[in-house]
Amino acid sequence: MRLFALLALMAFALPAGALPDLDDEAMAERLAACAACHGPRGEGAPGSEYYPHLAGKPAGYLFAQMQGFRDGRRHYPQMVYLMRNWDDAWLARIASFFAAQPGVVPRHAPPPVQSAADRSRAETLVHEGDRGRELPACASCHGPQLQGREPGVPALAGLPTDYLIAQLGGWMTGARHSIEPDCMARVVARLDPAEVRRIATYLAGLVPEPDSRPLEASAEPLPLDCGGATRFDPARGVAP
Amino acid sequence: MSAPKGPSLATLLMAFGFPLFVLLAVVTGFLIAEQGGLAALSVPDEDAETPSADAATLARGEYLARLGDCAACHTARGGKPLAGGRAFRTPWGTLYSSNLTPDPEHGIGRWTAAQFRHALAHGVGRSGLLYPAFPFESFQHLSADDADAIFAWLRQQPEVAGAPPENTLEGLAGWRPALIGWRMLLHRPWALRFDDARGEAWNRGRYLVEGIAHCAMCHGERGRLGALDRSRRFVGGRILGQGWVAPPLDRESLAHWSRDDLAGYLRTGVAPQASAYGPMAEVVGSSLRHLTESDARAIAEYLLSLPPLPQRPAPPARPARQTVGPASTALYEKHCADCHGRDGRGRARVYPPLDGNPQVVASDPVNLMRVVLFGAAPPTTPGNPAPHTMPPFADRMPEADLLAILNHVRGSWNNDAGEIPPYQLRQARALPLE
Repeated sequence: MRLFALLALMAFALPAGALPDLDDEAMAERLAACAACHGPRGEGAPGSEYYPHLAGKPAGYLFAQMQGFRDGRRHYPQMVYLMRNWDDAWLARIASFFAAQPGVVPRHAPPPVQSAADRSRAETLVHEGDRGRELPACASCHGPQLQGREPGVPALAGLPTDYLIAQLGGWMTGARHSIEPDCMARVVARLDPAEVRRIATYLAGLVPEPDSRPLEASAEPLPLDCGGATRFDPARGVAP
Repeated sequence: MSAPKGPSLATLLMAFGFPLFVLLAVVTGFLIAEQGGLAALSVPDEDAETPSADAATLARGEYLARLGDCAACHTARGGKPLAGGRAFRTPWGTLYSSNLTPDPEHGIGRWTAAQFRHALAHGVGRSGLLYPAFPFESFQHLSADDADAIFAWLRQQPEVAGAPPENTLEGLAGWRPALIGWRMLLHRPWALRFDDARGEAWNRGRYLVEGIAHCAMCHGERGRLGALDRSRRFVGGRILGQGWVAPPLDRESLAHWSRDDLAGYLRTGVAPQASAYGPMAEVVGSSLRHLTESDARAIAEYLLSLPPLPQRPAPPARPARQTVGPASTALYEKHCADCHGRDGRGRARVYPPLDGNPQVVASDPVNLMRVVLFGAAPPTTPGNPAPHTMPPFADRMPEADLLAILNHVRGSWNNDAGEIPPYQLRQARALPLE
């Protein structure tokens, strides 16, 4: 009883909203709802073909996405439903938890077979871009192996085809937004739907290295100004 | 031959029309008086009165504005605080909240304190009659001092220019003057008076519950044309426009709560008896988490004193107990027992108990079905900054297994509720999540 009173006192001594120290097990226990689609450690769940893995993605990216669901920049009712009453401090902690998990080799079904010509066109766009259209290469921000970049650029290699098409299509139709300046919206505006499918299929077929991690933050400015990729504060996230 | 001469039109009018007119006038006058009289309908003129805006007043105004959760309704998701534009789906169409910032054009920049008090007390604002989505039926109980403090605080918030979208209400509901008719038929002002037979805390609790916290907006039963029935204002039921049930609030429905647990639940969103999910998670997360401990205890004391009201009788159903067997037990133990325990008692403040949980055995089991289908999460609060979550099961098992689990928990341990039929689960699947 005395111990309980002491613990209770300690709990109240914490500053308002201060998060307790939670190890990975304690985090996973709290995030059972996330595990249903994303796997207990964000490694992806068998049978959840559409849902992206979270493990090893840059924390700033994960935070910005969760904040986007909560605040209406991204739309997926099931995600909004679960997170709409969570504050930035907790979202930042969740982001750091999933970011710290080992990178994964995705387990979803292989992408549809792509013709050699389509594959080569996708490869050129992904790795070289198209100067004529002022289209930067995906790899110039997302990394030469599409492994992502701290603090806010996600890995693309091996994501499910359907998921990639849905996200790029979302920017195309205005259903998905990033924090302004929304660089991806500007990139996607220069693509046509056939190219989106081609690129998504190509990216889904890349198999990341088992220990792949996002690149360190770039010292040089990225080719485009991206509001969602600037900074991440593990205690508070980032203000939009 | 001339036709038999009847009474002339003028005579008829004199004979019937005049009394009819008088009757109509009397009835109209009576109903106008009933909804608060002509005074309620006339907005006070401009005046130069400025409410005091010292630090203490502003702090009180901010606290009350949080308890009233002004920002929750008057902010669109991801939008600027208090700038309005949040959509409210009703059976009569969609309503958008107004701009409460001090912007002179679109907000309350030109309002006077007297006009603000009047809107809270009577539901009539500078621009006319207000829809009862605005809880003036609760805010009428606010003291003038408290209303002024809220107004003073609102006046200090950042201005946001911009009007909310136009309401898209159908038929008469879209015609604001028709609200006079609604008020004459359904709005009946009443006053709270300090009850000397009760203590200070009980009276404070009642003042908050009936007034600024406007609990009855969700926990009350809505009758004709969406009106709250004063006598059934804590009887619970489906929340208008949302696929959730608000539980009844009275000493019998809350018999398994202690005052401390209830006060703690209001501030943290968790208690040994329940976790706050759905609309209550929003209310705790944006409003009640700010309650002082003494106000939370005052609210708990008042709620635990309310006399129970008769519930609507539930349609007879086959007892869920009859479906409990080895198959349902195996499913429960595989998917639920790790957290909620084989005994259904959960873990205090972490995993809600299922045994004896009124939400589990409710005659309208929509909350239970929702939580199992789509998962659930309490809000983050200073007292519970890292909440535990319930995973969604909608796509993880066949419908028959979902039903088996739902009916297992409704008919196990001390629970003895009716069976959920398949059609009811399918209806719950179709509920909007946002």
